[in-house]
Amino acid sequence: MSMKDILQHLIQRQPGYLELRWHKRTSNSFLATKGRVDVANHSITEGVGVRALINGAWGFAATSDISEAAIKRAIEQANANATLLAKARGAHAMELRKGKLSTKDFIGEGFAELQGMSIADKLGKVIDLEHQLAKSSSRMHTARARYTEYLEEKAIVTSDGASCSMKIAQPELSLSAIAEKDGQRATGSRGAGVSGGWTCLFKHPTLDHVVDEIARTTVDLLDAKYPEGGRKKVIMAPAVVGLLCHEAIGHTVEADFVKAGSIAAGKIGQMVASPLVTMADSGTENIAGYAVGNLPFDDEGIETENTVIIKDGKLASYLHNRETAAEFNVAPTGNARAWLFSDEPLIRMRNTYIVPGTSKLADMISSLDDGYLIEGAGSGQADSNGEFMFGCSHVWEIKNGKKTRLLREATLSGIAFDVLKTVDAVSSEFQWDLGTGHCGKGQPAKVDAGGPYVRCEINIGGRQS
Amino acid sequence: MSKPSMSQSKDTITTLSKKLDAAARDTLAYAKKQSADRAKVSASCSVEKRLVVENKQFTLANTLESQKVGLGVHKDQKKGSASINNSDQAGLHQSVDDALALAKFSVADEFLVMPDAKEAPKAKPLSFMWNDRMSEIGLGDLLEFTQSMLTRLTKDKRVAIDRLEVSTSCMWHGLYNSLGMEQHETQTSLSWSFMGMAVDGSDVSGFDYDGRSVYNWDTALDIALKQCDEFAEKIVKNLRPVKAPTYKGQVLLTPRAVEEILLGTILYHAAGSSVMDGKSQWGDKINSQVISKLINLSDDPHNSRFSGATSFDGDGLPTSARTLVQNGVLMTHLHDCYTAKHCKTKSSATSGGPFALICAPGTGDLKTMINARPEMLVVDRFSGNIDPIKGDFSGVAKSSRYYKNGVDSGGVGETMIAGNLFETLNNVLAVSSVVEDISGSMQMPWMLVDGVSVTGN
Repeated sequence: MSMKDILQHLIQRQPGYLELRWHKRTSNSFLATKGRVDVANHSITEGVGVRALINGAWGFAATSDISEAAIKRAIEQANANATLLAKARGAHAMELRKGKLSTKDFIGEGFAELQGMSIADKLGKVIDLEHQLAKSSSRMHTARARYTEYLEEKAIVTSDGASCSMKIAQPELSLSAIAEKDGQRATGSRGAGVSGGWTCLFKHPTLDHVVDEIARTTVDLLDAKYPEGGRKKVIMAPAVVGLLCHEAIGHTVEADFVKAGSIAAGKIGQMVASPLVTMADSGTENIAGYAVGNLPFDDEGIETENTVIIKDGKLASYLHNRETAAEFNVAPTGNARAWLFSDEPLIRMRNTYIVPGTSKLADMISSLDDGYLIEGAGSGQADSNGEFMFGCSHVWEIKNGKKTRLLREATLSGIAFDVLKTVDAVSSEFQWDLGTGHCGKGQPAKVDAGGPYVRCEINIGGRQS
Repeated sequence: MSKPSMSQSKDTITTLSKKLDAAARDTLAYAKKQSADRAKVSASCSVEKRLVVENKQFTLANTLESQKVGLGVHKDQKKGSASINNSDQAGLHQSVDDALALAKFSVADEFLVMPDAKEAPKAKPLSFMWNDRMSEIGLGDLLEFTQSMLTRLTKDKRVAIDRLEVSTSCMWHGLYNSLGMEQHETQTSLSWSFMGMAVDGSDVSGFDYDGRSVYNWDTALDIALKQCDEFAEKIVKNLRPVKAPTYKGQVLLTPRAVEEILLGTILYHAAGSSVMDGKSQWGDKINSQVISKLINLSDDPHNSRFSGATSFDGDGLPTSARTLVQNGVLMTHLHDCYTAKHCKTKSSATSGGPFALICAPGTGDLKTMINARPEMLVVDRFSGNIDPIKGDFSGVAKSSRYYKNGVDSGGVGETMIAGNLFETLNNVLAVSSVVEDISGSMQMPWMLVDGVSVTGN
């Protein structure tokens, strides 16, 4: 009997709305540095999360014991928690918008490949990459290679009709380096994550010549100057565009955040960006096919879709779970996600991006007299009022239509919608480039983001004399 | 898990911990049978109750019993590790096999080490970490507590609380190794966190958050309500941001900004792992002046004010208070057993630490510090990048305020700060006589620092 069948059996004849989610995550993570293996870890986390809705109140309980008896106890506990909360807050009607409840049994590409591959091959590759990077230059002080893979297995059954299962694989690899010369140090890193197998991971464009790329950039940065601060015309690379989409726009259009009064509240139908900008969040991306946030359905059992957030500059949609979809009187968008079986689903992004345009990167550079090409996306944060900050490890100065010199890290900031209104060119070249690491919102989530090259005006943090 | 009452929590923890204790011993025995040279098991269990409020409504009541067993093995000077979230014997034995399989393909490392029972004697339990009253708190009590916080947070209608979470936890943690080291610890805690902003018509303030964790139920509400009042007042004051000036010079860092901007770099260069890999600028600077003489920093893992308190570290060594920086002089590196062996020194029992940092108060008067220059930026939060290797930092000053001639002119928007932390840490002009607890995890004062680039919008 599969876990889906067991959950299907247990959900029968339960009062109110009930959602049962079995989740098993098997992960391997390796970290090699300085010729050592600092991390070689195998981990399994498995259990069942139960969410009950009674009189408008949610109760949640979870168990790592997946026997029928333990799941039944978790159901009782979730019901008891919901009842207690309903009493405390008073009866309160809550509708859940049904949407497209999934009945899929989905096995993602690459799952079997990654599951069947030997540890020796995976760990060996990580050790080898670290070794190559360490030997790539006499200036190399520290090289580091980190690999993590998640093999996700889930079954979700709801009392109103969802009954689905999935197996997906999410491997990621990142390399970083510290170069040193005369006591000065520079850092560099590159990484990629995919929804797919080992083969898919190493086809990611970011990993093309990854060792040479990191070594060259990091060593070159040793002699690089800082960019001049102020408001500048820039061309953002896909990873930076992805950061902007995810941090500065994406979070403000999550419906729970909209309800709390984010800058996007009440702006549906309004122009919030240049007409050149169309932005979406997709669980089923098919532009490149490898984005790490690809999911057949979300953790409420709703089939995912491509949700257009901004259409030709106009705010078109928020991101919803079933509850907020009912409140906003729209269809759920399949954005309810939980990190572990013991976490309740929250509204989260999947793959967030700006749709490619028609310009060519080469033309965008050649028609820019004075500005920067922003690469090497680092960390980023954004605020409820749309104010954002991103770090970038390096930028290229552009003078008279030509890339001139490499400059050290910069910090970009601005108000997201204001920046998007200044967009005057969007390239046809496209890349997903934010598939490593996690988005944090109380719980982690694997997401991706990317886009074309986008030209706009932005504030660059610099040093004052 | 039949009733939501927390009165069962103590019993549950007792039952689960006995089971995990037996499982840990069995796992070590199995590792030995499988020819592991050394093995270590970290086992924990907890009972947690949690309430979630979103947009002023209680939205979720959650209960969770959890277990986790992590293990590490050494074989032929190679290491591997594995973990599972139950105490099932077959699963744990499989984990040992998995960890040994990983070790087989790893790289030999002569510095791998585990302490024996003599090096890691039984740590004296910290009695303040377990509070019987806290272990009896039920969801009903938690509801009342949370409601009080919500009422206080939203007294001013302009305050929009996106999310408020309150939880209680009872937990047990055991650490064992095949050389006879054994440590155990139990802990109760009440934690809360909230995030929100002020909204006044079309004016939306910056997003902010706060929270903390305490051991003692009896004083928790007073602490929580005071924090709610301070938070609400602060975010409302950040409506209608003013333009900050652009200059290079002095800025005043609040205790939270001291933690967010300065602390990470100090800890990075004091860390044994950084010293071991030659990444620390302070690898040979013990007993040397590394930062301003005004800074005194210590770690006190036995301090009941802080949530990171612990009687033993991640290697199982008993912890104790130690001075990290005295009058700007580096007194010690933070080593675990592995980095210590690498560096031919002794562990400072700070594996997984430091645990409860205390930056001592100075003599600076806050008003005088604000008046240090006619146009002063007071930085409360930092959203940006810090490169501890080069010391460069650059980012947005959040929830920060602009003082003109000593008068608070308002919160600032889109204001960036940048500089180099090695310079900043040596350019501390004053440390305040008042200190604050940051999220119940450490104590920091205010600091007036020089040489920071401020770029107003």
